[in-house]
Amino acid sequence: MLYLFSGLTRGSMYALIALGYTLVYGVLQLINFAHSEVFMSGAFASFIVVSAVVGEGQTPGWAVPLIFVLGLVTGGLTGACIAWGLERVAYRPLRRRGAPKLAFLISAIGMSFLLSALAGKLFNRFTNNQFPDYFNKDSVVFTVFGAQVRLIQLIIIVSALLMMLFLDRLVSGTKLGRSIRGVAEDAPTAALMGINIDKTISKTFVIGGALGGAAGFLFGTAFVFSNIMGFLPGVKAFAAAVLGGIGNIRGAMIGGLLLGIIEVLIPALPFIGTKWTDVVAFVVLVLVLVFRPTGILGEKLGRAA
Amino acid sequence: MRSSYLAKFAAFGVAGALALTACSNSTTPAPTTGGNAAAPTSSTGGATPAGGGSGATYKIGFQGPLSGDNQQLGINEVNAVELAVEQANAAGDLGFTLELVKSDDVGLPDKAPAAAQTLLQDTAVMGVVGPSFSGATKAVGATYSEAQLALISPSATNATLTTSGWTAFHRIVPPDSVEGQQAADWLSTKAKTVYVVDDLSDYGKGVGDDVQKELESKGVTVTREGVDAKTTDYSAIAQTVASSGVEALFYGGYDAQASLFAQALKSAGFAGITVTGNGGKSSVFTEGAGDAGDGWYFSCGCLDATVAPAAAEFEKAYQAKFNTPSSTYSPEAYDAANAMISVIKDLASKGEVTRADVLAGVKALDYKGITTTIKFTETGEVEQQVINLYQQEDGVIKLLGPIADQK
Repeated sequence: MLYLFSGLTRGSMYALIALGYTLVYGVLQLINFAHSEVFMSGAFASFIVVSAVVGEGQTPGWAVPLIFVLGLVTGGLTGACIAWGLERVAYRPLRRRGAPKLAFLISAIGMSFLLSALAGKLFNRFTNNQFPDYFNKDSVVFTVFGAQVRLIQLIIIVSALLMMLFLDRLVSGTKLGRSIRGVAEDAPTAALMGINIDKTISKTFVIGGALGGAAGFLFGTAFVFSNIMGFLPGVKAFAAAVLGGIGNIRGAMIGGLLLGIIEVLIPALPFIGTKWTDVVAFVVLVLVLVFRPTGILGEKLGRAA
Repeated sequence: MRSSYLAKFAAFGVAGALALTACSNSTTPAPTTGGNAAAPTSSTGGATPAGGGSGATYKIGFQGPLSGDNQQLGINEVNAVELAVEQANAAGDLGFTLELVKSDDVGLPDKAPAAAQTLLQDTAVMGVVGPSFSGATKAVGATYSEAQLALISPSATNATLTTSGWTAFHRIVPPDSVEGQQAADWLSTKAKTVYVVDDLSDYGKGVGDDVQKELESKGVTVTREGVDAKTTDYSAIAQTVASSGVEALFYGGYDAQASLFAQALKSAGFAGITVTGNGGKSSVFTEGAGDAGDGWYFSCGCLDATVAPAAAEFEKAYQAKFNTPSSTYSPEAYDAANAMISVIKDLASKGEVTRADVLAGVKALDYKGITTTIKFTETGEVEQQVINLYQQEDGVIKLLGPIADQK
């Protein structure tokens, strides 16, 4: 119980990033390895805006939620823009040429390196940048079975759940969602039905990017951020997406939350130790791949959502 | 359609090429002679018949982190070296021009060999201040020794560095084994149960081991844990420490991570004594940790130049040049540079300067610096070793005095 909320906090972060992987995988059957840098860019952009707004001195209580929303929106918008740009630069030209899958993978990894190095050049290469303290992140909201739940944990879990709920509704209940599912199910047929594939793919990237960017802001607020912050959470979120069943939106959410909890709970057991955190996470991934390659909920965005 | 794509790719390619050339310009060192092409020092082999005449240029190198996570420590040091070089040139009695060559190793073992090559290939470099970090030093100690290029490190404190049989390595700070032992002796009078956490680096693990060994020999119960330095979320380990009910925590690692850990410990409600070694003591820690850093103790074989009387003049010059107070290891780096300069100056007045002669000169040093008297033992360890204890109060790290005198 003591660790459950740490786990949920991590987990919801992974889940948000994992959604980006899953969405893109769903429509393109491709892993967008530059997604972790979309996440990073969201953190930096929202940091710039938030610290410009907060400035020096005390933040009045009523402004805190506004600043928080501002950070989320900035992170989301930046993530969306970068993801849109990524699709334009690294994916669409290749798709037009009918390039093999490997080419997409390589261009995504290339963009990932480029963005990470660029952010390092533009901003800084410290690995412990922190957001300004515009509210007391550590104030204890309530206590469950002796576990103190802190404000920041609550905020992250709740805002992540809200965003996931929103996405779930979007994909299963709207016209855009239907076209995304259509493209995921069978792109050529969807095109015959009058769905503009390019536009749908673009929009998918934008949605995934917005969630990734917002997750960047949440992550930066809770922990620290840097130009290389994307890599590890990115890989973990990828693992989470696979764990839940890649291409499956609800699977990504469950996989993310589960991975976060496993990561915090297992190393805390006696004789294991915190240095095993990452090992445990990837052992879980390997076990899932060995015993249930399609993940907990199976693959296909088209079917399950 | 096609041509527009070609144009796009061409533009991208040109931009990329420009970026690459820009990078290579900024990172490639200027070949051997620094600006003074006529200087005889550019001849190869390290044997440079400068003849003590004016116009010769000798260089001292600096290797340490000038970018990345731990750049603050490197900047503290390189500034002091720069000051020493500037003062030596301004004094006008050198008989040659002294230049500083900075080589950035990011503080990482895998970047260190390239950074060392930059200095080794520049035949005018007669001695090196650095490397700053233990892991980086491990990666290049043998290479420098083969080239007989003398090293004086102001801050690499891993105990094994002086037992590896390298001829070139010297340091003017006590090793972690001494620091860890004294810190543990002090801590054992305060707590009977201690959590020792390290960052799995050469430095962090080394000092953690030394502290653990000494604490256990004093009958203290030690729980040991390692947390990778790339970790961003310390909440789980902080919770483990807090709920284990230990009386004290020792963290072996560097400032940036220590500050995160301090924050997490505070939010986990840990009320015990918190101590870290020399790697944690810097402005990066105080700024990063904020109030969470108040009460933390730091053991350090280093001198706080802002309070030490012998360093007043240095401190004044440093603040005038860099517009900021000196920080951890600045005085040590200043001393290392000045000791190195004194050797080169002495040799130059006699005729020629070679790397091998400088190395021999460093081994024979007896130089009174602002931190200590620099005189090396056979293995490259400084003879006079004092460990100080510091504590953060109201966001400022204050000197409490030699740890051996603390109650």
